[in-house]
Amino acid sequence: MFRKFIHTKSIGVAKYTLLIMCSLMLTLQASAQYAGYKSITDLAAFKKQFAVESAKVQSITSDFVQQKELLALTETITSSGKFWFKRSNRVRIDYTKPFTYRMVMNGDKMMVKDDQKESRINVKSNKLFQQVNKIMIDCVQGTILDSKDFTTRVFENDKTYLLEMTPVSKTLKEFFQTIVLSVEKKDYSVKSIDMNEPSGDKTTITFSNKVLNAQVADEVFAL
Amino acid sequence: MKFLHCSIVVLLFAACASDYKARKPVASDQACADKIKPAGIKTAWYTTHIDVIGKHISGLLLVKQMPDSSKRVVFTNEAGVTFLDFEFRADGSFQVKQVIKQLDKKAVVQLLRKDFELMLGIPFRKGVYEAWQMNDERYFGVPQKKETAYFITGADCASLRRIELGSKRKKKVTVEMWGDNLTTPDSVKVKHYTFNMVIGLKKIER
Repeated sequence: MFRKFIHTKSIGVAKYTLLIMCSLMLTLQASAQYAGYKSITDLAAFKKQFAVESAKVQSITSDFVQQKELLALTETITSSGKFWFKRSNRVRIDYTKPFTYRMVMNGDKMMVKDDQKESRINVKSNKLFQQVNKIMIDCVQGTILDSKDFTTRVFENDKTYLLEMTPVSKTLKEFFQTIVLSVEKKDYSVKSIDMNEPSGDKTTITFSNKVLNAQVADEVFAL
Repeated sequence: MKFLHCSIVVLLFAACASDYKARKPVASDQACADKIKPAGIKTAWYTTHIDVIGKHISGLLLVKQMPDSSKRVVFTNEAGVTFLDFEFRADGSFQVKQVIKQLDKKAVVQLLRKDFELMLGIPFRKGVYEAWQMNDERYFGVPQKKETAYFITGADCASLRRIELGSKRKKKVTVEMWGDNLTTPDSVKVKHYTFNMVIGLKKIER
């Protein structure tokens, strides 16, 4: 009996020790992955808070710099431009350097304009466009944590939340290993987006000169 | 009705006529060939437009000369998502390093492979050419599997006019390049003649 108790207790201790070790390893892994960040354990509470706070952002006007790094080719291309968001479901991205390209998303409709042609797309007719459109909108309006397209882990330091999103669907997995959003704690606006590809290549979009909740005309998102 | 018949006959003749009928074999001028031979694009980024059968795609194309003498061609969209990554090795072999499902069709990959090979000057690496004269142009050709890859200059051998891929009778693809240095041309136009497809590249100054 005693032996059985000892045995059971030993299993209990072993399980407990294993659990602690696993937690420790996960924390260490998270810390190793995102130096200076610790993981948020109560994801439900964070989601609630995140939804409430990010709903306060009605519009964003910002500059951005995009860096695409091709790891194996040791090549980086930097582009920049202007970004607009207006709740709900309206995003415009204008690349101005070193090339011109405009992408406007307005509800279910999308317009892309390069230096040669303007194309209008009904995103409902294309599943991939629909997903990409949804990701972009969800990222900026703070609804990405509700998305069924990703599983999410959240980390924080004193100024920033990191939302690490791993795609669930096969289609998105082909394009992204993870998408990592860096969100400012002070106003819950997105500071940067890292799109990590399965090949190891990476695209980082960093926002600057952000103006939140200023008047943005509907015409900005005209298709 | 008579006019329609005549039109069909004219069209049939036009379709059957050989693009290379007037071409005359000549002795290969090695000095001219060496001077004009396309070395191919080395390393540069380009904004890219592909118009194919009424569809328009744009993005960025990177051509990169690697330290092992292989070349990589990577096509991404403007937002940075990689659509394809092709490797052209120095020994002539080819590998698809990455391609998205939507483009992962044998015909698409082979078509783009051939277009990029012309841009990179790959068919002309060995330096053995047959030569022809047609109108005021000199053709230097290298036989491929079922086609011939040409680089074409004027009678004066002053500059490369275009690169061309043709079957026995028909011109299939032309590649034209503009700029002072054709290893990093300012712009490139790849045009297909057997169906409606044009690829346009414009160099990005970084």
